[in-house]
Amino acid sequence: MTRIGPEQMDDLALGAAVLGTGGGGDPHIGKLTAMAAMRRHGEVTMIGLDELGDDDLVVPAAMMGAPTVMVEKLPRGDEIVGAFQGLNAYLGRPVTAVTPIEAGGLNSTTPFVVAATLGLPLVDADGMGRAFPELQMVTPTLHGIAATPMAIGDEKGNSAILNTCDNLWTERIARTMTIQMGGVAFIALYAMSGSQARQALVPGTVSLAIQLGAAIRGARRAKRDPIDAVLAITGGRRLFNGKIVDVQRRTERGFARGDAIFRGLGTDEGHELQIRFQNENLIALRDGEVAATVPDLITVLDAESGEPITTETLRYGFRVVVIGMPCAEAWRSEAGLALVGPRAFGYDVEYRPL
Amino acid sequence: MAKELRTLTVEDIRALEIGAAILGTGGGGNPYIGRLRTEQLLKAGRTLSVLPLEALDDDDLVAGVGGIGAPVVGIEKIERGDECLQAMRAVERATGRQAAAVISCEIGGANSMEPMITGAQAGLPVVDGDGMGRAFPELQMCTFFIYGLKPAPAAIADEKDNSVVFTGTQDMFWLERLSRATAVDMGATAGYALPPMRGEFVRRVAVPGTVTQAIDLGYAVLLARRKKRNPVEAILKACDGVLLFEGKIVDVNRRLARGFAVGRATLHGLGADAGATLAIDLQNENLIAIRDGTPIATVPDLICMVDLESGQPITTEVLRYGLRVAVLGLPCHPLLSAPEALAVIGPRAFGYDLEYRPLRGSRG
Repeated sequence: MTRIGPEQMDDLALGAAVLGTGGGGDPHIGKLTAMAAMRRHGEVTMIGLDELGDDDLVVPAAMMGAPTVMVEKLPRGDEIVGAFQGLNAYLGRPVTAVTPIEAGGLNSTTPFVVAATLGLPLVDADGMGRAFPELQMVTPTLHGIAATPMAIGDEKGNSAILNTCDNLWTERIARTMTIQMGGVAFIALYAMSGSQARQALVPGTVSLAIQLGAAIRGARRAKRDPIDAVLAITGGRRLFNGKIVDVQRRTERGFARGDAIFRGLGTDEGHELQIRFQNENLIALRDGEVAATVPDLITVLDAESGEPITTETLRYGFRVVVIGMPCAEAWRSEAGLALVGPRAFGYDVEYRPL
Repeated sequence: MAKELRTLTVEDIRALEIGAAILGTGGGGNPYIGRLRTEQLLKAGRTLSVLPLEALDDDDLVAGVGGIGAPVVGIEKIERGDECLQAMRAVERATGRQAAAVISCEIGGANSMEPMITGAQAGLPVVDGDGMGRAFPELQMCTFFIYGLKPAPAAIADEKDNSVVFTGTQDMFWLERLSRATAVDMGATAGYALPPMRGEFVRRVAVPGTVTQAIDLGYAVLLARRKKRNPVEAILKACDGVLLFEGKIVDVNRRLARGFAVGRATLHGLGADAGATLAIDLQNENLIAIRDGTPIATVPDLICMVDLESGQPITTEVLRYGLRVAVLGLPCHPLLSAPEALAVIGPRAFGYDLEYRPLRGSRG
């Protein structure tokens, strides 16, 4: 059990952006809403998966939509609590803990709003170990846990409860509703027992993000290379040093989709890297050859500061280092790759672990 | 809840099919498949009863149910059968209260049958009335919302066991918007259930007697056909309507816009109307009738087209050159022509810069 206060949100947001692999939404906004909630309601108690009782009722809460929209359509602030309470009322019994479903990006911090406001413990875990663009792309799906009943709501006072025949249908209907609600919505879903959470969630990912953020900031202060610090913690490696020379990005069917081209610098002089993304960086091609693919993590970092660069802020001229980091073990199973491997995103390539 | 239940027969349902299509004013979807499903339930031993509006107790909860989506899709994507029932059950779960009766939100067209089916499945009576007295393309265009029904919790459900309960909606337009988008996802057709309504409210704002009216209209047509009498005259006698025009369709200009069939049909007069031209502007339903450049009937009054010989109602999607038709005007219920109703379903709500002028008396 750990106490988490507003002062840790900077580290969390920074580390979560590394795990966000370009997506998951800019953690800055999530950080601000989480800090505001903690200042108002007090610190949050974070517990490990092993501290959950079998009969605890754990509910993930998150923000859903296109990161490009999230940047300018700011939340009112209490929408996520509304969605959480909506699901709680529907379930008819008290929820005992809240958890992130996506440790990468702003959804690492948004559940802190719920935890602080309602005085609930927050579980140090998530359903991805990174960020993914779609609702069904979570480890609970691999364990047969239903996404529904699910609550969804917006800042205008619209709210709904979904019950669907499978988790892919949850994604489909919730995505349409999110688009209608203005491209951003707030959700609570995948209600699970404590024992299910222990089986299905990726452990320790919130504290991992905090550790990553602290390491980057520590390295900057000590004038060491922040990227080395990230690689030491995650077991990742450098894929490319270069400069962004082109970005194609469109907001399409509720997602930020596109690709970015990097021209090599230093040891990568004369080479080219292409990254394709759908909210998150999905596949990195070095001179046309696959260098890394989902579900492994591909993150673009500023070459000097180690600051992660999200897909909606990629632009010409940035000097960057692209790194690859191994994904959570659960994703490397056959079922895991079927759900979030390259083919699930329409790329006809084999997954080769980093 | 009181006695005066009327139990419907297969014959009644066949009459309802014709009458509901007349009241559909060209839209509302074809009730044919719904009629077949209703008949099947009756043959399987289910009971279908119609309850007069005034027999509702103040605290009886009434569920408005129907299908939402594109009627053209409904013709080939046939319902599993219990979509509306599932939607109603979802609302009941959300409110913790059970419906005592069901009501149609739209008597015109296919949604005349859905409450019959839900009622037969749930063992509940169908209230003799509806929320439009005709057909309209959107959810908010019914008297329940016009006269203050809170737009949540409502639900929609599909044949795949997906359901969405709208627990909060900003207003009735947002309910329409979210339901429509979700229905498209669900395969362009789904069943919906409105928020539960108290009996006292339904007695006050439902268009009264429209189930009986539709059945009577249907019988008038069937009887006239059997006795070789003029079915158009029989319809007019049965509904206090006006014969607006008799003619031949000479042009149909129809396109799909914003999910609606939008366009204009042009008719050249026959008989007493020889030499005159009638134009009918339509958006799923027939909205405006213009005789030689002068509007003679507008929404929310009913503009219905029937085949001149058989009295068979003609829907906008089957309009075509050469059909000989009678165009009938049926006065709408006063609930639909009050100022607050005209704001939602008057000519201006459909984008026509026209005042609503009530239909005048019969041409004789």
